[in-house]
Amino acid sequence: MKFIKIDKESWAKGLERLDDSFRLFGPVKQDKFHNFKELDKGELPDLSLLNTRLSPKSVVYPQSEVMFEYTLDENKEDHHILKEIDKDYSPRAVIGIRPCDAKAFLVVKPNFDAPEYKDPYWIKSYEATTFVGYACDTPCSTCFCTPAGCGPFHEEGLDLLLVDTNDHYLIKVITEKGENFLSAAGWGAEVDADAASDQIETMRHTAEAKITSRVSTDELKDKNITDLFEASFWEEAAFACINCGTCTYACPTCWCFDIQDETYGYYGIRMRNWDSCMYPLFTLHGSGHNPRDTKIQRVRQRFMHKLKYYVDKYENGIQCVGCGRCIRLCPVNIDIRRVCELMNSYGG
Amino acid sequence: MSAYIDKIKEISNRLLKESKVDMVIGFRKGTVPMMNEPCFAKTPQDVDNFVWDSNCGINLANYLTNREEKIGIIAKGCDSRNIVTHIIENKIKRDRLVIIGVPCKAMIDRHKIETMFETEIQDVIEADDKIIVKGDGFEKTLNKSDVLQENCAICIHRNPVKHDEVVGDPVEEQKDVDRYEDVRKIEAMPPEEKWRYFDDLISACIRCYACRNACPLCYCHTCFVDESRPQWVGKSQDPIDTRTFHFLRAYHCSGRCTDCGACERACPMGIKVRRFTKKLEKDCLDLFGWEAGMTLEERPPLDTYRSDDPDEFIK
Amino acid sequence: MEYMGIEPGRLHFSWISSAESTKFVDVVNKVTAAVKALGPNNNYLKTMAKVA
Repeated sequence: MKFIKIDKESWAKGLERLDDSFRLFGPVKQDKFHNFKELDKGELPDLSLLNTRLSPKSVVYPQSEVMFEYTLDENKEDHHILKEIDKDYSPRAVIGIRPCDAKAFLVVKPNFDAPEYKDPYWIKSYEATTFVGYACDTPCSTCFCTPAGCGPFHEEGLDLLLVDTNDHYLIKVITEKGENFLSAAGWGAEVDADAASDQIETMRHTAEAKITSRVSTDELKDKNITDLFEASFWEEAAFACINCGTCTYACPTCWCFDIQDETYGYYGIRMRNWDSCMYPLFTLHGSGHNPRDTKIQRVRQRFMHKLKYYVDKYENGIQCVGCGRCIRLCPVNIDIRRVCELMNSYGG
Repeated sequence: MSAYIDKIKEISNRLLKESKVDMVIGFRKGTVPMMNEPCFAKTPQDVDNFVWDSNCGINLANYLTNREEKIGIIAKGCDSRNIVTHIIENKIKRDRLVIIGVPCKAMIDRHKIETMFETEIQDVIEADDKIIVKGDGFEKTLNKSDVLQENCAICIHRNPVKHDEVVGDPVEEQKDVDRYEDVRKIEAMPPEEKWRYFDDLISACIRCYACRNACPLCYCHTCFVDESRPQWVGKSQDPIDTRTFHFLRAYHCSGRCTDCGACERACPMGIKVRRFTKKLEKDCLDLFGWEAGMTLEERPPLDTYRSDDPDEFIK
Repeated sequence: MEYMGIEPGRLHFSWISSAESTKFVDVVNKVTAAVKALGPNNNYLKTMAKVA
């Protein structure tokens, strides 16, 4: 295992050098809170954050994304034919992504990159991206990454792990992609691996100890699906929900989208937009029938999907990395930790 | 506040025991600071969960829409005005309701308090007119009056306008409040500046519709943004579509909005969405002398015609 | 609409009976003249969705 030391001066210089070969994305404070955005030339990622308001899933999977274009002009040869549009899949890097958000890409991968179905937009973007994680030593009280199978120093999904030791950064090289990123930046001051590894381990333990939210997920896989589906607690758990899309849009592991055509005169585009299982429209059939017409059904769907269907289908743990955004942002304080406990302990 | 809570529990228990209602809608303590969760009580055990403090800014009238049960509902001033609006608009029947009025001592602005601190707020405690904010290694005492929700700071109807029960003596209403300073500032801008102002205001919007869904007025079975035949508004993150959503929603609330602030409180991005609705609220007051939800006896201005209508074109 | 930055004079309201044909013509002329004088509205215009 290789470790690199970067002092904070060469940090900025390296990033500047990277500008030539990578599109850089990083957390930036916009008005009142941080979000990920493409960095302007010379702009540094602001790492003085707890975490971004929204997850960085948009770097790979934008909220609105154009897929095809078409013309309706019958004088054109290719009228009424959907054509793929050119997209920028040049190398990009997300700098300062929290380990929970990076693991989230692996959690959604089985959906976008399955053996039988491949989502070319997601896959190409994902493969073009180098994930430079920023180890988290300031978890929030709403964070529950460790019980969710992740952690503040978790490496799954990362190419590099950046650790802030106050006077310099330590970088743990995790993949070859990460290695290439380092050489493009010109960072190469290798340090003693054992010492660095020990230092990071100590910091990891300290950070993990700060995560006090306890959520039990161990029983979920053994529960009977229909028992949980028909459980009596849903009415009470769903009551406050106003069916906005905040939880799903803020969530790094929610992947649903809706496809829309927009036509402007003779020209048109087909795009996809994030959708949310919280909306009645999400399941409305062309016939007018809606199989999830009530709030309780929709709330149940969200939690059952994350905490039961996903668990059973992919045998990959829960569809949640414990980032806590939905807890912090829900307008009516519906807390996934509470619902998870209800599900995990249901029926004794 | 604890006197309020005791009284809320006492009344709720009594109503449930005497079978006057099937359920009481109120708040239980939230799992994160400055948040409480709307909940219902059907048994005395459920009633034990009820709380009341300065974090009950969600408008509970929103939970009444089209319900059939007999319901007791905890209502502060603005909630009660929205209940009146609901009754006028036939979304709930008056005789199915027992309104438990709470003379409101104003709610605190969670967005504002959050942005006052660089690190995480772990606990917020109320003591009379002080708010004590605690986090890792810090503790700060704020004056409650400095951190009120903006709509609460300018509220002139804190006491419930209709109630069957009440949990305390009426609070003194604020007088001589300038309710529309922000709207006048925008009105005075030249058109281009206005345009940019709203561009900036909604630039963070993610179209999650939390503002719409937290609003008791937004009960349409299919909202205009969700219509697909015809499709009035695009569904993407396009700024024109986002703007159209916000403006049209505000129009739909004119003559009905009570400025309860639930929309603004609900917004995950901290957008001041009341900048839209307040203009129409102001116009309704200026043009028709109307404040929504104050009376069951009068029809709202937008569904009546009067020969003294101030607009010339309609005469 | 003026509140959100549409110029004064771009939006008109009128109440015309189906029997008031001359008033209708008159209003249409006035409205088109007023709007033409303002020129095109370049703000509230979506030529194509501005998305990724």
